[in-house]
Amino acid sequence: MKKKYLSFLAAACALVMTACGGQKSSDGSNGVELTGAGATFPLPFYTMTFDNYGETSADKVSYGGIGSGGGVRNLKDGIVDFAGSDAYLSDEEMAELKPVVHIPTCMGAVVLAYNLPDVQQLNLSGDVIADIFAGKITRWDDERLKKLNEGVALPSQEIIPVFRSDGSGTTFIFSDYLSKVSADWKATYGAGKTVDFPVGQAAKGNPGVAGIVRQTPGSIGYIGSEYAFAQKIPYASVMNKKGELITPSTESISAAAGDIPQDTRCSITDPDMSGAYPISCFTWLIIYKDQNYSDRTKAQAQATVNLLKYMLSPEVQKSTEVVHYAPLPQKAIDLSLENLKQVTYNGEPLQ
Amino acid sequence: MIKDKNLVARIAKNKLVYILVCVLSGLTAIPLLAILGEVLIKGWSQLGWSFLTEATPNAYKALMAMEAGEAVPGGIANGIVGTFLMLLMASIVAIPVGVLCGICLSEYRKNWFAIIVSYLTDLLQGTPSIIIGIITYIWVVVPMKGYSAFAGSVALFIMMLPLIIRSTEETMKILPATLKEAGLALGGSYWRVMLQVMLPSAFGSIFTGILLAISRVVGETAPLMFTALGAAAISWNVARPMSAVPLLIWEFFNDPNLQNLIWGASLFLLTFVLCLNLLAKRIAKKWKI
Amino acid sequence: MQDKIFRIILLLSALVIPIVGVGIIASLISDSSGAFETFGFWNFLFSDDWTTKAGSESYGALPFITGTLLTTFLALIICIPFSLPVALFVGEYFRGRKIATILSTVTDLLAGIPSIIYGLWGFYALRPIFMHLNLSPQGSGILTAAFVLAIMIVPYAASLSAEFFKMVPSDLKEGAYAMGATQAEVIRRVVFPMAGSGVFSAYVLAIGRALGETMAVTMLIGNTNQMPDTLRTTGNTMASIIANQFGEADGLKLSSLIAIGLLLFLITAFINLIGKILIRKAQHV
Repeated sequence: MKKKYLSFLAAACALVMTACGGQKSSDGSNGVELTGAGATFPLPFYTMTFDNYGETSADKVSYGGIGSGGGVRNLKDGIVDFAGSDAYLSDEEMAELKPVVHIPTCMGAVVLAYNLPDVQQLNLSGDVIADIFAGKITRWDDERLKKLNEGVALPSQEIIPVFRSDGSGTTFIFSDYLSKVSADWKATYGAGKTVDFPVGQAAKGNPGVAGIVRQTPGSIGYIGSEYAFAQKIPYASVMNKKGELITPSTESISAAAGDIPQDTRCSITDPDMSGAYPISCFTWLIIYKDQNYSDRTKAQAQATVNLLKYMLSPEVQKSTEVVHYAPLPQKAIDLSLENLKQVTYNGEPLQ
Repeated sequence: MIKDKNLVARIAKNKLVYILVCVLSGLTAIPLLAILGEVLIKGWSQLGWSFLTEATPNAYKALMAMEAGEAVPGGIANGIVGTFLMLLMASIVAIPVGVLCGICLSEYRKNWFAIIVSYLTDLLQGTPSIIIGIITYIWVVVPMKGYSAFAGSVALFIMMLPLIIRSTEETMKILPATLKEAGLALGGSYWRVMLQVMLPSAFGSIFTGILLAISRVVGETAPLMFTALGAAAISWNVARPMSAVPLLIWEFFNDPNLQNLIWGASLFLLTFVLCLNLLAKRIAKKWKI
Repeated sequence: MQDKIFRIILLLSALVIPIVGVGIIASLISDSSGAFETFGFWNFLFSDDWTTKAGSESYGALPFITGTLLTTFLALIICIPFSLPVALFVGEYFRGRKIATILSTVTDLLAGIPSIIYGLWGFYALRPIFMHLNLSPQGSGILTAAFVLAIMIVPYAASLSAEFFKMVPSDLKEGAYAMGATQAEVIRRVVFPMAGSGVFSAYVLAIGRALGETMAVTMLIGNTNQMPDTLRTTGNTMASIIANQFGEADGLKLSSLIAIGLLLFLITAFINLIGKILIRKAQHV
């Protein structure tokens, strides 16, 4: 019996060891396995692209949608090859990390999805959105909402704002926009991956918020555009800086891209351009500038760079619209290809 | 005819209490029926061969299917594989350690060390599962630099251990002392008597305890969220993130594109847990000491 | 010789428990020290400020402690009128009969349903009803969570209480019957006083269960970090804030979440300890 017990233990150890060993051998010459984690916002785009990439290349890519905050933390811990984030790293965050490179992959938007069965078209403006989420406008038949939606019968119902319970780039874009259009918002809540919303209810991930909005009459929540488009949840038109009411669409998102700095870290919310949807954004993949960390091989480093080049290629950019994102402007692609040239392994440049 | 007013009132009150107890007790069965009904009705149509043998679709495929108004393809095979693999790894260690520890506690019940261990077992049994998740994250995920099925099974191991210890200890305590004495008197060595006489006689109850322990941890989500994390593909590699059925349910709950799969997954989990429970009851009845 | 080895193996396997138990406490304390050092123990405990805004970070556990205590005690209040009759049904009125076995199987199965399925059922079946009855505007919140929590702890309270009702010596009850007491009177004057302390300990242990419940509560409570001011509002419990935010927290926030975990651990350990002591006392009467 005692022997049996020992053999049980031995079997357990063996199981663990073979499994660990199995992983190493798969990292052989024919193709490497890349791991990324982060933003849920571009998840459908990434899974589509990485699937296609796996079919054409020997390398395999897996991506976990755990939220932008989690992705950056994993990169910091050195357990992923790249992180996905809807928010670019702030200067303080950059200071905590070894040098990184931001590569934008596509453009998207944050839309305001609502659940009012009898309202086909809802118009909002920045300050009204800020006051709804700050709990200052509490009912759907508020005067300011009525003014924006003349001729629409708004119900006399409580507004239930829905937001994210986890740290997220979507929250960052949304709160970044609100901070630009409302001084009150900026002073009280500010912009960040987690914001302390005073009212409403929270759910996990873009999909979670979409789910709650679908299930809750009277609710309004901010979600990545593709979820609203695919789920056919109604979403509001938002007034931009020029005073135009803009419905989010591939064209109006693309129209928001303006000046882009060399490192592509920029916010394009509330742009001063005609026809632009005001809560648009880039989404980035973030990698270390020097790819030698956590015992990674040069093959892995090269595969990471290859993958990013593939993401910037015209065919992939064209496919963004299939899953309701917008392609990058040419300038962002050119800058990114230039930035990729500076990525090194042990100081040696990669092709 | 009873004339005494007081007596009438007392009898009426007695009846009232009786009826109230019966009605309120009956009401308690409603949630069980409601939950079973909801899961069965909504989940039945989703359950099928492909549901049990295919992995969860990725976000892109789910989005496309949703948009086209088609049924979401795929199933929960990745979760089933993960659940069984992690349970297996946890059980392989937890069952021998738990049974031996239970024997130890019942043998040395007056010893101060055993009393402390006994209290700590209670403490561990009452610990919220989310705390086990945090602890395993600190102990396994951080040093190993990544989420893994191995970490998940460590969490399940910690949850199973006190349950198995308790059931073994209770069973060994009620075994007649004469059994052990007879074995020893016949010249059996101590360890032979314990493992070949005492343990087999207690086998039924201990087995029941193990089944109940498994049924308790198989539905646990919180300790796996920070340890096994979940993975979209079927994976046998215990050093990598892995999914489990309850984790998938949580994922489906949070993703409207995948909501079509939620009830099938719940039906699978619920059937599995309730069958284990009923089986354990059966065995307990049959092997009663 | 072999006996000696066997005894050593027994002791070694028993050592696992103290190692894990002490390890949990040690790890929780060392990993939460950051939060306690920054805010001070009492300040952390009694501050209702949970601000994640960069630059003015401040973490306090009070909203979550309040959320946990509110849901737990509300659940207890909702649970008593159902668990007590079930316990009487199984342990007194129909003791040993087939119908009692059926009811106790039902409650056992109820206890076996995983937390996440309770959450799903609460979300898809109960929540619309709560919204329809206008019990809370968004359907989720303290009240909804407590209601589902109550259903979850009924089986624990009921099956343990029933055991204590069964333990009441029948000669005492027969004595009361012989004096002409009705069954309701016997329950009130004999069964309750005799089994009282045991039943009380059953409810203490049920509280211990409810305190740490995670998934069902997380799916139903609405997950906001404010002090809950009424039962209709949303909130967060200690377990649900960890479930929501642990995955991507780091630095001070991570250690604050672990500190909340430590507090939750201490509270449940304390409640469970009291419950166990009471039960041991009750069993030896």
